[in-house]
Amino acid sequence: MWSTYPNDQVLPAKFWGCSGMRHDVVVIGAGLAGLTAGIRLAQEGLDVAMFATGHGALPLAPAVVDVLGYAPDRVESPRVALPSFVAQHPEHPYACLSMGVLAASLDWFKELVTPLGYTGSLERNLLLPTALGGLRPTLLAPETMAAGDLGGGGEVLIVGIASYRDFYPKLVAQNLTASAPADGRRIVARAVEVALAGDPRDLRPQLLSRRLEEPAVRSDLARSIRAELGSEAAVGIPAVLGLERSHEVWTDLQRWLERPVFEIPTIPPSLPGQRLQSLLTQLFRSFGGRLQIGNTVLGGQGANGVLESVTVAQASREISVSAGHFLLATGGVGTGGIVVDRKGIPREAVLGLPVTLAGSPSEVNPEYFGPQPVDRIGLAVDERLRPLGDDLGHLFSNLHAAGATLAGAEPWKEKSGHGISLATGFAAAAAILEERG
Amino acid sequence: MALSQIETDLLVIGGGSTGAGVAWDAALRGLHVTLVDRGDLATGTTGRFHGLLHSGGRYVVKDPSSARECASENLILRRVAADCIEDTGGLFVTTPVDDPAYADRFVEGCGAADIPVEEITVGAALAREPRLNPRISRAFVVPDASIDAWKTVWACVRGATARGAKVLPYHQVMSLTMTADAVTGAYLRDARSGEQLRVRARCTVNAAGAWSRRVAELAGCEVGVVPGKGIMIAMNHRVVNTVVNRCTMPGDGDIIVPIRTVSVIGTTDIPVSDPDHIDPTREEIAEMMEAGEALVPGFSQGRALRVWAGARPLFPKTTGKQVSDTREVTRSHSVLDHEALDGVGNFLTITGGKFTTFRLMAKDALDLAARKLDLSAECTTATVPLPDSESKRFYWIGARQEEMEHEAPDDPLICECELVSRGDLQAALARRSDWQLDDLRRALRIGMGPCQGGFCAFRVAATLHRDGQYDRLAANHALGAFVEERWKGVKLISWGDQLRQTRLDQWIFQGILDVEHLPK
Repeated sequence: MWSTYPNDQVLPAKFWGCSGMRHDVVVIGAGLAGLTAGIRLAQEGLDVAMFATGHGALPLAPAVVDVLGYAPDRVESPRVALPSFVAQHPEHPYACLSMGVLAASLDWFKELVTPLGYTGSLERNLLLPTALGGLRPTLLAPETMAAGDLGGGGEVLIVGIASYRDFYPKLVAQNLTASAPADGRRIVARAVEVALAGDPRDLRPQLLSRRLEEPAVRSDLARSIRAELGSEAAVGIPAVLGLERSHEVWTDLQRWLERPVFEIPTIPPSLPGQRLQSLLTQLFRSFGGRLQIGNTVLGGQGANGVLESVTVAQASREISVSAGHFLLATGGVGTGGIVVDRKGIPREAVLGLPVTLAGSPSEVNPEYFGPQPVDRIGLAVDERLRPLGDDLGHLFSNLHAAGATLAGAEPWKEKSGHGISLATGFAAAAAILEERG
Repeated sequence: MALSQIETDLLVIGGGSTGAGVAWDAALRGLHVTLVDRGDLATGTTGRFHGLLHSGGRYVVKDPSSARECASENLILRRVAADCIEDTGGLFVTTPVDDPAYADRFVEGCGAADIPVEEITVGAALAREPRLNPRISRAFVVPDASIDAWKTVWACVRGATARGAKVLPYHQVMSLTMTADAVTGAYLRDARSGEQLRVRARCTVNAAGAWSRRVAELAGCEVGVVPGKGIMIAMNHRVVNTVVNRCTMPGDGDIIVPIRTVSVIGTTDIPVSDPDHIDPTREEIAEMMEAGEALVPGFSQGRALRVWAGARPLFPKTTGKQVSDTREVTRSHSVLDHEALDGVGNFLTITGGKFTTFRLMAKDALDLAARKLDLSAECTTATVPLPDSESKRFYWIGARQEEMEHEAPDDPLICECELVSRGDLQAALARRSDWQLDDLRRALRIGMGPCQGGFCAFRVAATLHRDGQYDRLAANHALGAFVEERWKGVKLISWGDQLRQTRLDQWIFQGILDVEHLPK
């Protein structure tokens, strides 16, 4: 019998409550990787239970799907750049995947989240403005952001909302105007700050988005923008255009302004991220999946190379949950999937699996923007995305891992984060489906 | 092109607490003062101390004369610098690792130094500070407090400026001008513009603290100051609300000071040769985290926000002696009259001492300078309150929140950790036009909270651009530079929850804002 409690919890002699609960698949973690795999498996009719401590990084992230933005120069076409990138980075999660699987995961995702209208393809990165006015390469963007693709240059008006502290249109416009999207292309950006009627106290993104869901408020905003509009072909605005009704808010603004409108992602929290998370969790549940947030998985029990069950901490008790397959999608250091102790020693937080590419996280790079050893630490996996032990054999035949828990990527530098989560979540689901026959 | 010239009575070199105190004292005595520092004010030892306003208790056994000075200065600063002080009170506790016999010597020493001390029961101490080690055997209450070094320095400087003083941060002294037997002023270089200027002064005070040896050398004088390195770690909240000290001979990591929203553990004491190279080491950090366990069990599991080191200006009174243990050097200060010592007139060095006694140091230096300048005005800093301390109300932890409730409703918060609003930022910008982001950090505390600038750095840089202080490139550069600067204090404590915070910040700067690829 193999048992692990990395948090030093003592295994209770007898579980209270629902011991004996069994599912086809248990997914640990409710971020993009976990939800992707969970939805994929539930779509195929499997009984999937998902346990997570919190909501992960999705509601904080800009909701664009990066695949490969820098390698290390700006990547024009991920399809062209990926083969040599993978050859140079054999430890990268993409090395476990074929181009076909990556492309299939992107197509599946676009189809799945139709209400958010994602566009983009592996052939060419979009170049979307950041909240500082940089041009950031990404692959898929929701409909509310797509018109911000300035890869071909163009003339845009950047609109800020006075008293909203996370968006400064003048800096965005000046940086954009100084940017070089491609040979011979130019961006001409102009800034304007408009006031929104009503209580201006500390306009937080959630509050702003709620207010813009009221037709009267957004028509006021449109009127203020119209008064400032010149010959610009499109209008950029911080990503606060509603939560549940973002399509309506965005459509109205485009109609009233008679030109494309695009959202520019902000620092956290992210409304587009919350929209995507909300849609994905709804979809997971609609396919029969069970999602339990606030349920931390403490450890697992297995024998003979098979993981049999995990122990889950619920509000007032611990339960044992068994399953045919398990997927670990708890994220990296940032979301707590991997923890580093005071001596600089990293470990996988739930099952205590061995972590690779640790180098030594204590060897920090004194240059903030340089490569940091901690960027790349994570789990090494086989070609079926099963975590490897120190002897390089897989630990459990029925345990897979996906997303930021995997070793080998520098997602923020490469601009590959959501792409890795989506593609490996998709591939892990495919592996599980195949193993079930 | 003619060199800019400044005529002044008193040139003060060094913009830490001592120099600022000298400027304030001199201005009150009616002198025209020029205060210069090679960097921003309070960026040397002053801006790097733990924030403890000593009751004197720490020195009662080891250094009784320093203890007496601390005790009387503590009382004076409470009267004249209330706005800079939080009256936390202090506890000395005998932990299981401390010699129980020390406590009686401590009480006796407090009596001799006129430090009010009261023994309370262990139960009462734990009721007051529930996270204290329950295995302490004795506990004593003393009037320790926490004091904000930056507020104190700025208050002195504001008061001096209002009385005609000229304050020149980022001005390095390139050379001292001299006649055959006296210093007559200095050549300065503006570190930012490269411009040179000349100051003619009737008297020059070297208040460069741990750097005073270098300044004295410019006049061919020797000052045997020994920089003593001390490291400090800020924890992400108030582990205690009272200053807690181990009741033992001063050692490493035996004080925890609650200040503003954090608590700071300190410190070490290691003689170093160069006060500019005092980076903390991993071993020192590990020892400090462990040392906290004696006072607060579980301390080492807490979230460390930032680590840094300061260089004390230790001045062994017996000159020529090799200093191997800087803890043995008195914390009292010395005023050196270079006319008597080296035959160089109109030049003084004030060194040694500690933050708690900065006012007394300034007074002693000025008393000597006044004699040289034939000035009869007496020191009044013990009775004239510093600007903003006139009401004699102590700062308290809810003060900022209280202020905010009265602020304009359209004034967004740009730093949630330290409750700094756009209005606060704009008011600071109106006071001075040449801010670096790191100066604003010291002025407003932006970037000092748990996120270490992750959220506010972008807002501040962009606001400076929005309001016309920075052009595009300056804003982009300032953001990157600020983040690099913050990294210095975080990189060595990258573990646990603070590492997660670091990852979130990196994700914001690199993943979302893509700061590295902004147009040149």
